Amino acid sequence: MLPGAAALALATVYVIALLAVEKQPLVIGLLALAIVAVLGADRMGLLASVSRSFAEREDTLGALAILAAFVVAAFFHDNHFVLLLVVTVLIYAVAALGLNIQIGYAGVLNFAGASFFGIGAYTAAVLNAHTAVPHLLVLPTGGLIAALIGSLLLLPVLRTRGHYAAVVTIAFALLFKTFLEVNDVLGGPQGLHVQGMNIFGWSLNDNMAVGDIDLSFYLGYFVVSMAMLVGAFVLVRRLVRSWIGLNLDAMRLDETAAGCFGLDVARWKIIAFTLGNFLIGFAGALFGMVGGFVAPNNYTFADSLLLVSILLLGGIGNPWGLAVATFIVVVVPEKLQTIQEYRFLLYALLVIAVLLFRPEGLLPRPMRRYVAGWRP
Amino acid sequence: MTALLEARGLTKKFGGVVALDHLDLAVAPDAILGLIGPNGSGKTTFFNVVTGIYGVEAGVIAFDGTEITNAAPPRVYHAGISRTFQRSRLSLPLSIFDNIMIGNHKRLNQGLWFNLMRRGAFKREFEASYQAARSLVEVFEPRLAERLFEPVAGLPMIDRRRIEICRALISQPKLLLLDEPSAGMTHEETAALMDDILQVRALNRNLAIIIVEHEMGVIERITDHCVVLNFGRKIAEGPYRQVAADRQVQEAYLGVA
Amino acid sequence: MDPGLLAQYVMNGLMLGMMYALVAVGFTLFFGVLDVIQFSHGDVLTVGAFVALATYIGLRSAGISSSPILLLAMLVVAIGAIATLGLLIARYLVLPLRAAPALNTLLITLTLGTVLRESVRLFYPQGADPKSFPALLPTSSINLGQFNLRLDNVIMLAAGAAVIVGLQLLLNRTKLGLAIRAVAQDEETARTMGINFTAIVLFTFALGSALAAFAGIMNGLYYNEINFGTGLLLGVIGFSAAIVGGLGSIYGAILGGFLFAGLQTIGAVALPFAGAYKDVFAFAVVIALMAWRPTGLIREKISERV
Repeated sequence: MLPGAAALALATVYVIALLAVEKQPLVIGLLALAIVAVLGADRMGLLASVSRSFAEREDTLGALAILAAFVVAAFFHDNHFVLLLVVTVLIYAVAALGLNIQIGYAGVLNFAGASFFGIGAYTAAVLNAHTAVPHLLVLPTGGLIAALIGSLLLLPVLRTRGHYAAVVTIAFALLFKTFLEVNDVLGGPQGLHVQGMNIFGWSLNDNMAVGDIDLSFYLGYFVVSMAMLVGAFVLVRRLVRSWIGLNLDAMRLDETAAGCFGLDVARWKIIAFTLGNFLIGFAGALFGMVGGFVAPNNYTFADSLLLVSILLLGGIGNPWGLAVATFIVVVVPEKLQTIQEYRFLLYALLVIAVLLFRPEGLLPRPMRRYVAGWRP
Repeated sequence: MTALLEARGLTKKFGGVVALDHLDLAVAPDAILGLIGPNGSGKTTFFNVVTGIYGVEAGVIAFDGTEITNAAPPRVYHAGISRTFQRSRLSLPLSIFDNIMIGNHKRLNQGLWFNLMRRGAFKREFEASYQAARSLVEVFEPRLAERLFEPVAGLPMIDRRRIEICRALISQPKLLLLDEPSAGMTHEETAALMDDILQVRALNRNLAIIIVEHEMGVIERITDHCVVLNFGRKIAEGPYRQVAADRQVQEAYLGVA
Repeated sequence: MDPGLLAQYVMNGLMLGMMYALVAVGFTLFFGVLDVIQFSHGDVLTVGAFVALATYIGLRSAGISSSPILLLAMLVVAIGAIATLGLLIARYLVLPLRAAPALNTLLITLTLGTVLRESVRLFYPQGADPKSFPALLPTSSINLGQFNLRLDNVIMLAAGAAVIVGLQLLLNRTKLGLAIRAVAQDEETARTMGINFTAIVLFTFALGSALAAFAGIMNGLYYNEINFGTGLLLGVIGFSAAIVGGLGSIYGAILGGFLFAGLQTIGAVALPFAGAYKDVFAFAVVIALMAWRPTGLIREKISERV
């Protein structure tokens, strides 16, 4: 357990430092330090031992990770910008987990992830403005609408060869953005305003104070998105560590053989695709409420590819790797303002490099352990 | 005795090529049938047709009283037919246990609620499955029984073949289709493999086997009955000694003298 | 409907079909020889169009103003550059990943598309804005009653048709074409017959990409405008056209291209007010066709051995 806990502690300190510094040279220095440290750790086999540590004591380390996140949030308790960044990472991580169920586990390609994310946000915009649906319920509703619209794509997605799902989802991604821009029903290119979250009378968009200490209103959203991420994480982990996870793997690796051993491939592809879209839409609804607005320009095909790049960098199929990759992809362009404009290009180049030289991603997927801590 | 598997008039074409030509074949409930014939005679195609990977243009397949012609592969599996493949089709990144459990699909609870929420019950089913897999693997290679959670990718070919057979046997099928199980093995390894298969069968009296093989020694030793195919047609049937002496069979394999 | 207007729609449809067909043929060639989907093919087209534009601007500022010379130079430079790009893509990104799961090749070409697209957007001066493309073909027209038959459109259609016919001749009447078809059929046998597999693959990628460059220039000449997103659109539709026509079949790709153009034209005729929805309609057609007939009107060659 020690390697894992040590890694977590170091990571927490590093994250706080990275989020705190503003001067560009300092940021670059910190990033360079991280790259060197990680490469060095890999060489010395430390990364592997951290991996094993996480695999064996996942529950404890998971709890520690949650604690670490709260420590980070507490440190930046009145810093709107940083907290918003943290919340964005948490929400994107949930979307990435949903996408991972589709691409990483079931092998169903989805290049319209950002579109389903956007569907969730638009659902929140419409429901919050025109109905009295409680905001906490709006979240799963966003997921539901995303899953429903996704089911329109099911027929081609079910076909065997991956490129059919690819084309259809790309076409949908392009259709989604263009349709929303051309159509004024949902606000056109300007988009829609999204009312902030309100849980049982507590408006999350209001700043709070505890005694003398001012607290950014984003802390409320932090708690909500943390809860969402933990829930999604647990769900995905249980899914993977079950016969269902096995079915998905079998289907992804060899559909024909899987069918010969009883797997109803179509049914499981539908389940994986729908569940993934539900998670993505769920996260999108929260994202809309956090940001306060939704516009087609934030949910383009390029954004979908960015989500896919998170999967590739983090190691398809590894939820922890995904969390790290989400952090990198969301935070680095925000801190290195100079590269903001170039982020699509840079991440694309990074992905190409990963695919050529380290296709397993940062953290390869470990062997399935059905019950944590179980030994034969 | 009523046949367990009965195929009548099976015809399968691929474009202009006739792979199966009005084939009639029957297997008794605990028989071991050898399916032999030169390359391209339709043996693997027959397996693919029975397991539902291909449909047929004509003919009927009945299994255990029900018709399974053109049934989809999952339905054939659930009826009680299991198979191995000519080229090894294991999921290499997955563990030995995972691969065997793929074959155990029908005996595992596949419900979403069970798998996600009832983790206590799941753990019990997992442990029972582990014991079952372990006992089965022990028959074939006791050293592997300790290493069930290692990836299959690291195993030598012969062990992979054994795991593939375990995958086919774990669901306690009524009919096992073995497609050239001895490919890539030495005589000793093949003999050991056959002994192990017979051992499992002894514990499970209702297992019928159809085995496609090129090694005639195996066919002679373990089968009670043989069917010889050539160009998708049955050209001889009977005990091995009898078909081996059949003139037509010899011509099919060796050409006309 | 007014026959002049109808004729205009038909002309639009034919031009569109020609462009889709040229892109679709590229996809089908790549799939044929290597079983890969080159997802950056559309963006390669965009680069071709921009290279042509840059050539034009460069030559104009050097004082050359003769349209035929400019056009010829643009064609030569763009086609040469893009053929080389296609070759490099094959050599450094696609061939090295042959042993990896097919998913990796799909992802790498898709990502490369982003690299190309973003590079144009970021590094070409004001790349994010649409750029006007010069009209270099004779703009005179023949008056046929209510319809003006523009000479430049006729030339482009004829040129497009010539390219397609030329491609067919290459594939069916030359030794090189035979080699390409052999490799597409069965790599191993082709190799044992002495065909240099790598050379053929590289050539095919160069050829397919050259077709895209040609289509890109055509696109610019016809609409008098190009922008960094054009290729993505054409790529998605071209790829779908290739699938619908049956991946691996040249005839199918051409057929698919014209089918899509036909559907889009019908849509435009039926809903004339919905001009802005033209793209939306195209994508919806893609999705619908994939749902209905994903294996294509002509069967895709399936190569799984059970």
